[in-house]
Order: sequence, then structure tokens, then C-alpha cells
Amino acid sequence: MKINTTKKLVLRSTQLAGVASLLFSCAEKEKKVYASTAEIPAIREMTAELTSPPHVPTPVGKRKAKKLIVDMEILELESEMTNGVRYVYWTFGGTVPGSFIRTRVGDEVEFRLKNHPDNKLPHNIDLHAVTGPGGGAESSFVAPGREKVFSFKTLNPGLYVYHCATAPVGMHIANGMYGLILVEPEGGLPRVDKEYYIMQGDFYTKGANGERGLQPFDMQKAVNEHADYVVFNGSVGALTGDNAITANVGETVRLFVGNGGPNLVSSFHVIGEIFDKVYVEGGDLINENIQTTLIPAGGAAIVEFKVDVPGTLILVDHSIFRAFNKGALGMLKVEGEENKKIYSGELREGIYLPEGPGIQTMPSTDETPESEIPAKTMAEKMEFGKATFMQTCFACHLGEGQGIPEAFPPLQIRII
Amino acid sequence: MSPFIRIAITFICSIIVFTTSAQRNDMAEVKGGTYIPLYGVDSTTVDVQSFKMDVYPVTNREYLNFVKENPQWQRSRIKRLFSDGSYLSDWEGDLSYGEKLKPNAPVTSISWFAAKNYCELQGKRLPTVDEWEYAAMADQTTADARRKESYNQQILDWYEALKTFKKEIGSTFKNYWGIYDLHGLVWEWTLDFNSVLISGESRKDVDKDSNLFCGSAAVGATDLMNYAAFMRYALRGSLKANYTMRNLGFRCVAPLENINENHSK
Amino acid sequence: MKNTLKIVLLFLLIGTLTGCNFGKSDKLETVTYECPMFCEGEKTYEEPGTCPICNMDLTLVAEKEKKEGEISDLSIYNLPSVWTTQHNEEIELKELQGNVVVMVMIYTSCPAACPRLAADMRNIEKQIPADKKKDVTLVLVSIDPETDTPERLAAFAKENLMESNQWVLLRGTEANTREFAAVLAVNYKRISPLDFSHSNIISVFDQGGELVHQKEGLGVNHQETVSKILELVN
Repeated sequence: MKINTTKKLVLRSTQLAGVASLLFSCAEKEKKVYASTAEIPAIREMTAELTSPPHVPTPVGKRKAKKLIVDMEILELESEMTNGVRYVYWTFGGTVPGSFIRTRVGDEVEFRLKNHPDNKLPHNIDLHAVTGPGGGAESSFVAPGREKVFSFKTLNPGLYVYHCATAPVGMHIANGMYGLILVEPEGGLPRVDKEYYIMQGDFYTKGANGERGLQPFDMQKAVNEHADYVVFNGSVGALTGDNAITANVGETVRLFVGNGGPNLVSSFHVIGEIFDKVYVEGGDLINENIQTTLIPAGGAAIVEFKVDVPGTLILVDHSIFRAFNKGALGMLKVEGEENKKIYSGELREGIYLPEGPGIQTMPSTDETPESEIPAKTMAEKMEFGKATFMQTCFACHLGEGQGIPEAFPPLQIRII
Repeated sequence: MSPFIRIAITFICSIIVFTTSAQRNDMAEVKGGTYIPLYGVDSTTVDVQSFKMDVYPVTNREYLNFVKENPQWQRSRIKRLFSDGSYLSDWEGDLSYGEKLKPNAPVTSISWFAAKNYCELQGKRLPTVDEWEYAAMADQTTADARRKESYNQQILDWYEALKTFKKEIGSTFKNYWGIYDLHGLVWEWTLDFNSVLISGESRKDVDKDSNLFCGSAAVGATDLMNYAAFMRYALRGSLKANYTMRNLGFRCVAPLENINENHSK
Repeated sequence: MKNTLKIVLLFLLIGTLTGCNFGKSDKLETVTYECPMFCEGEKTYEEPGTCPICNMDLTLVAEKEKKEGEISDLSIYNLPSVWTTQHNEEIELKELQGNVVVMVMIYTSCPAACPRLAADMRNIEKQIPADKKKDVTLVLVSIDPETDTPERLAAFAKENLMESNQWVLLRGTEANTREFAAVLAVNYKRISPLDFSHSNIISVFDQGGELVHQKEGLGVNHQETVSKILELVN
């Protein structure tokens, strides 16, 4: 009896060992290290989730490499550049930048590029993530009302720009035909709390910045690289006010930042934050503690930072006139508890008098300021008087001195 | 002369005048010359012989008459060798373009085969790329306005404007030759659209060593600032003869001699 | 107890074994539907229903029935044009019907690509088994009908060892040539009086004249083209 049990035990344990070894060998197979990423098998089919900016699709996590179907539609459409200014954008997926594509290394991407029948122009796509001629441009050249399909394997992890490459290339890009494709490494990027998609682009319009109405593309300005608008996500205000991106105190934020160009290089900076990590140029190299990172036209970077205090962080191209005069400005609103240790806010305000009390005079030249030169003729008197009126009185009493009823009395004198 | 006869004669005369002038007004003469196309040949300049060109693109109404007389070109009957599935796709049916399309708007969603056949049955043909480009260099006042900034910008503006295929013929400017709508309504088929040797990879097309085309050294563009022309050539390069497009119509041309002969007869 | 354990173990075993196996299940033969208006080109649908574009009811894709002597809508033999051969005989394209046709467009004075295209054609011809050669016609169509007279075509055929009956060299009118190129999606342009720039495409047509295969480029591997031809003649 005893012997019997032992036998059974032996038997069982061998069976168990067999199963265990099978399990183990199976697990081992899955964790196999491939000589090159080209050898990673893509199993099963899956339709890629595409998102409009500033959103990004779900992380790949631990999923295996798959055959990934990307359905991308090209749309030529009119939309708002800024208040009162319209522009005809050419888009991948109806937005500028185009839909975000998220893949993992080893995926076999079947790219289906559709050119809407209402569109006027042929287009194509050059994905910087593609290893192959033209980045797919040649195989994807598609006339309006047609669809082209090609496929590629993602061999190198990183964040890549895609764009249209149909002649005249500059114009197709200047009209908004760019976006980002992310190739995550095996196992995915480390988890973070918030992820956003931001892409800078420069625009060239016939009218100057702010000139109202439908503004056509200005070829000469584009060739001269004189941008009227430099914006994040296709238009002024795409990331401000109600469109601002958000996070909570204590969260780690990851921004996928690209630069479509066509001409300008971006000095990407977040006012009031330091990037804990920058995946330099979207590649493997991680730099830490960075204030401003350079994003070349046709390039990208991943930046990560933990937000520690509440407030509105301002995203800019630190070529600063672009931010304040041309639109390269976005906002990240952070909500949560204050942390006075990290940032106090204003503590006190006082008088600053380094040289003691008394009237300070500024050194000045002997020249009389222009505004103090007395008027010589009646005409000049009238002119100066008008200037004074416009500066001082106009705002309340209006152009003809008629005033505003119930608020500002009229100044008119009836000459008899 | 009795009043009756006088009226009859005037009537007959006016019919003659009307018909001949109608025929002549349909087409405008484009005086030949040389020009440098965007994608040229070895000797760079191209000679274009004088020819007559339709003043307007072919309209829905005109095309309807054509398919009534030539049933093999009706939507349900066209051979699939000659057209992809979208031929006349916006029409209501074989013999009606429906309420949504204007009779006087250019007919679109036409394959090259259909356009070519239409012209041939009228004793005309499709213009060559060179003829089309040559006639289209003109603005209102000059035969070659390509160097005028305003001309280029105007065309570019149109290329960006959306849904212009819905407009009626004659809604854009009349050019130097008396031809309307070369820019501003729809793209137009050309007889040798397939002489455009671009691969769709615009950056590679400047490469002299391409295996896809023999002798591709000649495909370098002559005027890097002529964006409008770049776009037209890119479009031609993206087409196949059985494709149709909602923004692509056509018009016909005829050699000058033929017209003169007809006229003298 | 013992049995239960064994069963559990067995299941575990099966589970692990199949878990490792990612083999695809065999594809069943599917019935497909198409839009009667072909709104999306030749797209077919797996489920019956309506076309997403024109909302017309989808129809069953009928098995292609080819009656003897009748040609399909997609056949190049719908082109009515008349051509001249290297033997100065007039032929209509549809006389080629019944054979598999391998076709390329060249011009005889071509210095660079055409000799290589001709060589590619010869290589393809070599790989066709002797007893099948009679079922395949190899056609070279001139894109320069002005220069390429039947005499020149004959000389070119001789030079390039294309003298057997399988080889047909054709010239047409300028308009026919342009149209034919349009069907083959061959682009060409005269760049000087004797020189053309053109796409290098070898096309294969089935016995009914439908385009079944195209290969673009010079010095590319023609294995695929050859296997397509063999598939058609067998």
C-alpha cells in the first residue's frame, strides 16, 4: 500500500514535471529573443485605433506583434485658423495633425490610404517609421476617389513623423498633411498617468496674421520661410482655453511632440516645468532634466514630467515671437492641492528703495520730447488737438464727442 | 418682293448665321508657338501647332445627349475595361443626371476612354498635355502669364477651393484666347496624360537613376516655382485611363485645318 | 480521485499544447457579394446587404463563366484597333485570343532599357516547358510607330532571337498605341526625335484577354510572372 502510494507519487510528479516542462518550454518560446525585429512574427489581425489630437490611442502594453490594419482617409476641408480666419486644410483623417497611429515593434501594418472623392488632389504618405522606398510614398500615391493599400513591418521603436510627399511637397505639408506614428518597444513604454499628442506646424497665408476671411496658401512666403502662423495642432487656440489639456497634481504627463514644419524648427518648452525625461528626437536616448528640447522639422520627441503644483503650464516654441505673435502656444491645466514647499506663490510685496527716499531723476538728453514741441500753425494745432482727443477723450466720449447716454455726457458745443 | 418671302429669307439667313456662328463660337483658335513645359524634353522648348479648343468644358447636358445616342457609354453598359466602378457615379441613372447636378455644370466622373470617344465622335480629339498647358498659360490679357505672380496665386487659390465641380461653365474668367474655365472648375483629361512620368514619389523623381522609367533623366522640372503646374502633373501622374474623378472633366480640340475646311465648305 | 487528477492533467496538457499553436484555421470557401454599381470598384462583401455608398442591394458574385469565343468586359480584346506585325501582316488584337499573352511595350531604337526588357522576355520564354510553348504568345508593342516599320521590327526580332512563331511584334497608329498604353498603364513620352522615356512593365493576359499580372521595373525577378503563366496554361 505504502509502496503503491510512493509509486503513484512518483508517477504524478513525473506527470507534473512533464506538464511543467511543457509550460516552461511554451513560455520560453514566447519570450524568445529574436536576432532582429524583422523576425518577430505577427500573429492575428487587429484594426488600429486612430485618434485625433490631442488624444492618443491605448498603449500597446504587453500585446504581441500583430497584423495591424490602419484605415486612413484623406480629407481636404475648410476650417478655422484663428478667430475670423479660415483656411483650407489638407488632412490625414480630418485633423491637423493627422490621426495618431500607435504600433509596437514587429507589427505588420497594412496601411489603407483613402482619398475622398470630393478631394481635388492626389496624395500619398511617407511614414518615417517605414523601412522601404519613399517611406511608402510611392506605393501609396492615390488619386481622389481611390484607395491604395501597402504594408510594412515596424522594425525600429520610436516616435516618427508621417507626411504627404506629393509634388509640390512643401505645399502639401504646409497645408497640414503630417502626423505622428509611434512604434512602442516590446512590452510597451512605461506606464504614465496622462498622454497627449501635440504637433507644431507653420502656415503661410496670403493675408498677414489676423487678416480675416478665407486665406489661401501663399507660395512665395512659404519659399521665403516667412510664416504667418506657427501653431500647435493646426490652429491658434487648439490647445488653449477650453481646449487646454489637463492633469492632476502628482500625475506624470507624457507628451508626444512632433514638428511637421514645413520650414521651422521648434524649441519646445513648457513654462513652469522641467522635463524629467526627454526621449531625444523620439529615439532610445533618454536625457533627463531638460528645460527646452529642439524638435527638428520632420522630427519628434517624447517628453515626460511629473506635475507637482496646480496652475496653468504654458507650452511654447521658445523662439518666443512665434508663441506670442504667431500662435505657438498651448496650455496644460493642472488641478489639485498646492504644495508651498515646491512653489510658494507670492509671499509679500514691499517698497524697494536702494538709495533711500527722495525724488529720483533719470538722466536725460537735452532734447525736448516731441510731444512737447508747441504747435506753430492753426493746422498743426488742430492736428495735435485731434491726437490728444483720440488718446484721452475718444474712448468714452466717442469720435464726434457725442458721448454715451446715461454714462458719458456729450461734449458738443453748439456754435451760434 | 413680297413680305412673306422677305421674312422667309431673313429667317433662313438667320438660321444659317446662327448655326455657323454656334459652331464657331463653340471653339476658339489658339495660335501656335513654342513654350517650355514644366516637364520638358531634351530640347526644352516645345512647338505647339495652332489648334481650336472648346470654349467650355463638356457639360452634363451635352454628355447626356451623347449617351442617349451612344448607349454603349451609358453607366450600366460601359465596358469595365474602359471605366472603374465610379463612372458617372453622381448621375441619377443611365439617362438622367438628376436634380442635384446642374445641366450646365461640367460633366465629371468620366474615364479617359469615354472622354476620348466623345471627342472622336464629334470629329475632334482630346488635347495633348502640351496643347492644354499652352492654352492654359494665358490669363485675361496675355498669352503667357506664367511669370505673373497674381496669375499663379489665382490658380493656386482655385486648386485649394473646395467643390468647384458644382459650378456652371463660364463662371471663371475668359482667357486671352477666348477660352473659359481652364482654371477654376475642374481638372481636364488630356490625350497623352500617360506621358507624365512621375512615380508619385516626388522627391525621387528628380533622381536621374530610376529603374521604373527608361530615360528618366528628362523628367526634371524646369520651373520649381510653378506650383500650379506641379499639381496638374502630379494629378495626371496619379491617373489611369479607367479612373474617374468627381473633379475631373474634359473638353475637346481640333486641328485648325479641319475647322477651316469645314468653314470654307 | 486518481482519475480526476489524470483528467485534469490531460486537460492541462492539451491546453498547453494548443496554447502554443497559433496556426491559422483553414479558410472556408466563402460566398461573396458585390455592388451592382461597383461603387467601390471591385470590392466584394462577405455578407449580403446594401452597398454602403449607393444603398443598392448587393448581388451575388457570379462565377465567371466564359463561353467559347465570348470575351468579358475586362478583356483587352474589346479594343477594336488594327495592328501591323513584323511580317507586315495586319491583325486585330482579338486574333491573339485563346493563348496566354505576355506583353511589353518597347521601341527598337531604345539604347538602354529595351534590350534588357527584351532579355527579360526571352528569359520568361525559356522557362515555359516545350509542350506549352504553343499556348503562349509573347508580344512586343512599339511605342514609336513612326520609326518602327515592319522591317525594323523584323530586324529587331532577328537580333533578339525572337524568330519563332510565338513572338509577335506590333506597330499601330499613334492613337492606338496611346490607347493601348493607357490600358496597360504604361506611361511614355518622346523626349527627343529618337528617344522615349517609358515605364518598364511586363503584363500577362489570360486566354480571354484579361490582365492577370503585371511586373514593373528593370532586372526584377520574374519568377512570379513565370508561375502565373504556367498556372494559366496548365
